[in-house]
Amino acid sequence: MAAPAAPEGARGLGQSACYVYGIVPADVDRTGDVRGVGDPPARVQLVRHGGLGALVSAVDLPGRLGTPEDLQAHAQILDATAVEVPVLPLQFGTVMATEEAVAGELLAVYQEAFAAALKQFEGRAQYVVKGRYVEQAVLAEALEEIPEAARLREQIRGKNPAATRQARIRLGEIINNAITAKRAADTRALGEVAAPCCVAGVVREPTHELDAVHVALLVETSRRDDLEQALSDLASDWEGRIGIRLLGPMAPYDFTTTSMLQAPHTRNHQATMHDLRALESPRPNA
Amino acid sequence: MVRAMQPGGRGGEPSPTGLADVIEIILDQGLVIDAYLRLSLVGIEVLTIDARIVVASVDTYLRFAEAVSRLDISREKEGLPGLVGDSQHSSAIRKTKGVLREMGDRLREFAESESLPASGRLRSREGY
Repeated sequence: MAAPAAPEGARGLGQSACYVYGIVPADVDRTGDVRGVGDPPARVQLVRHGGLGALVSAVDLPGRLGTPEDLQAHAQILDATAVEVPVLPLQFGTVMATEEAVAGELLAVYQEAFAAALKQFEGRAQYVVKGRYVEQAVLAEALEEIPEAARLREQIRGKNPAATRQARIRLGEIINNAITAKRAADTRALGEVAAPCCVAGVVREPTHELDAVHVALLVETSRRDDLEQALSDLASDWEGRIGIRLLGPMAPYDFTTTSMLQAPHTRNHQATMHDLRALESPRPNA
Repeated sequence: MVRAMQPGGRGGEPSPTGLADVIEIILDQGLVIDAYLRLSLVGIEVLTIDARIVVASVDTYLRFAEAVSRLDISREKEGLPGLVGDSQHSSAIRKTKGVLREMGDRLREFAESESLPASGRLRSREGY
């Protein structure tokens, strides 16, 4: 790739490398005038090889990636793509030397595996459901359900915090354990509600101590309304107790696994799909 | 109505809340191409962000205890009817089976049952 002409000092060595966002089918329309990561951001382009394409943009050398703008550009490009076509997201920060390397060392090497993996995401997108407990409501529940918590609460109320430190720690631990248990139960409840609209689901780690549910779902594009309706019903049940948000559609970040990229010509792949299809509805003996 | 929203938003300025969601969602996700393919990458530094991991600590416990001691239970009961002591609701939840957990576990099992390709050049960092 030719080094772009650059203002002195602004582009260091004046060389560029190739940032890779994700893998798509080669017949994707050009991406228009979408700007990518880096400063200044370059236009996103498609590198094609065989039946595949890679979404890339030039980044200057030397350079740093990881600003809020970079992270959002990475996600926006992949998520906007996922609405239209299947896409395999690469991890943030994936950079190769040249467009030729992207074609020859990435697309060519994993051609069959990428193509097979893309087929699994045809007509599907990822959604993330996040729920957060209403603190006062979940605390009240725990006090109601756990006599020891209610007793400890009476013990510490109006007392000097230093003098009741051990009781406070014990009380907090009981509450924390109660929330952990509620999180597991509420996540199962969400799974039951969402499963009929989903191809697959993954439980994500909580990122806040009051997180109630945090899951990634792989959903057929045609089932989006069903998912929104199911979650709306659940949100009504949970009103005042858990607030939920639905993020998406987005690229299938949580479902793009190494195993998808192996031996696309063997049964492994069909096994994956069979496995996923079997989970479309809750099984009575699950 | 719960409506799906793309976390990064579209076309607008990066928003702080959108950014938090984006970081959470893309962090450590996606296919990883390892150093073999990145060999000529002198000169790009990727700033990493530590994942927020919830680790319960004494501070957490003390904070919960303080919140509980401030809680006005009687007012809670009036303000949030049907939430406190709704044991039927709780038991219904407990009865449900771990469908979603099961789905996740199955995917994990599948991932674990697969060996890496001989070249080992592609891997995912999903922590499975």
